Amino acid sequence: MDGKIIVVTSGKGGVGKTTITASIGAALALQGKRVAVVDMDIGLRNLDVVMGLENRIVFNIVDIIQGRCKIKQAAIKDRRIDNLYLIPASQSDDKNAIKPENMVWLCGKMRKEFDITLLDCPAGIEQGFRNSIVAADEAVVVCTPEVSAVRDADRIIGLLYAQSITPKLVVNRIVPKMVENGDMLSHEDVVEVLSVDLLGLIEMDEYVVVSTNTGTPLVLQEESKAGKALRRIALRLDGHPDLPIENPMIQKTFWKKLSSKFSRKN
Amino acid sequence: MSLNSLLKKIMGKPASKDVAKNRLKFALLTDKLDVKKETLKDLQKDLIEIISRYFEIDKDSISIDIQRSEECSALVFSSPIISANHNRGVPAAKIMPVHKSPANSV
Ligand SMILES: Nc1ncnc2c1ncn2[C@@H]1O[C@H](COP(=O)(O)OP(=O)(O)O)[C@@H](O)[C@H]1O
Ligand SMILES: [Mg+2]
Repeated sequence: MDGKIIVVTSGKGGVGKTTITASIGAALALQGKRVAVVDMDIGLRNLDVVMGLENRIVFNIVDIIQGRCKIKQAAIKDRRIDNLYLIPASQSDDKNAIKPENMVWLCGKMRKEFDITLLDCPAGIEQGFRNSIVAADEAVVVCTPEVSAVRDADRIIGLLYAQSITPKLVVNRIVPKMVENGDMLSHEDVVEVLSVDLLGLIEMDEYVVVSTNTGTPLVLQEESKAGKALRRIALRLDGHPDLPIENPMIQKTFWKKLSSKFSRKN
Repeated sequence: MSLNSLLKKIMGKPASKDVAKNRLKFALLTDKLDVKKETLKDLQKDLIEIISRYFEIDKDSISIDIQRSEECSALVFSSPIISANHNRGVPAAKIMPVHKSPANSV
């Protein structure tokens, strides 16, 4: 059976696409799938450092497309997780080095080699975005609970629908305490405004920074809340769509629990 | 709810997330109304064609625009009428078969 191509996109930069692509990829590989993650940010690659594979790059996606190497030669095997491969972006080419028809060809090949191919889409709605969605079967749209990120997500969702792709939403960098205080949009607010299916909720988590520092997979950090949320997202994305979404919450002390019970109906 | 946010509520200050949500809804609405000049031109052409079936209008003094305000947004089309078009009684579709009948066509 042919594999799936899933694009991780957002419109706005810095909302967590690369972190989420690396983590979902790792989680799916740990679930036994053969997974490739592809850095689509030509000229500004990042996925390699997040995964700790920056020292092992020989060939890149542009080399594959221009016929200088085979997919197998460019795909870097992860150090810790079996069945997880990275196809890095080129750092020296510009965005026009790849055309949509090249991606249609590449994705056709990827479907034969991998169960799941995740595309880490660059920010914006130009060529890099077009290349990332042209052959995608599914899309994960990432946003943070901020006006600008949600607005950009709305634009992206419109463009995905125009390609007949029904996106699923991940809200990242949630700070439960701020949501509780009414100082951050809740995921309900975001979903209401975007009217799109929710895939998962990830809270702001220091482990993300630590694991990015060291280039180690976040999903292997048992204690990381973001890591746990991402493992569940991977399950919901592949094979377990009905797994309940966990809502990030403040670790409450007894007194806080009691007081919130009394003020709930406000 | 924290003491801080409770105090804010008592003092009648809206939660900042509600401000965010309202701004967001408005931004999305105006984004969607941001139509291309050509789209409005096409719409104007189609409207003239339809309205002309019913009224004789001054095609040169027509205006079409999208107006936005905090409360609502509207498509505003204005066209001076010269006269009602009294020939409109017979729909075009019903006339067609007569012209197409073999007797008339040769
Ligand atoms: N849940 C999170 N908690 C804390 N920091 C995060 C979280 N998600 C992302 N970040 C941080 O935010 C920054 C941007 O993330 P990144 O994945 O590079 O976004 P993008 O690929 O969308 O530009 C990075 O420094 C990353 O470590
Ligand atoms: Mg990125």
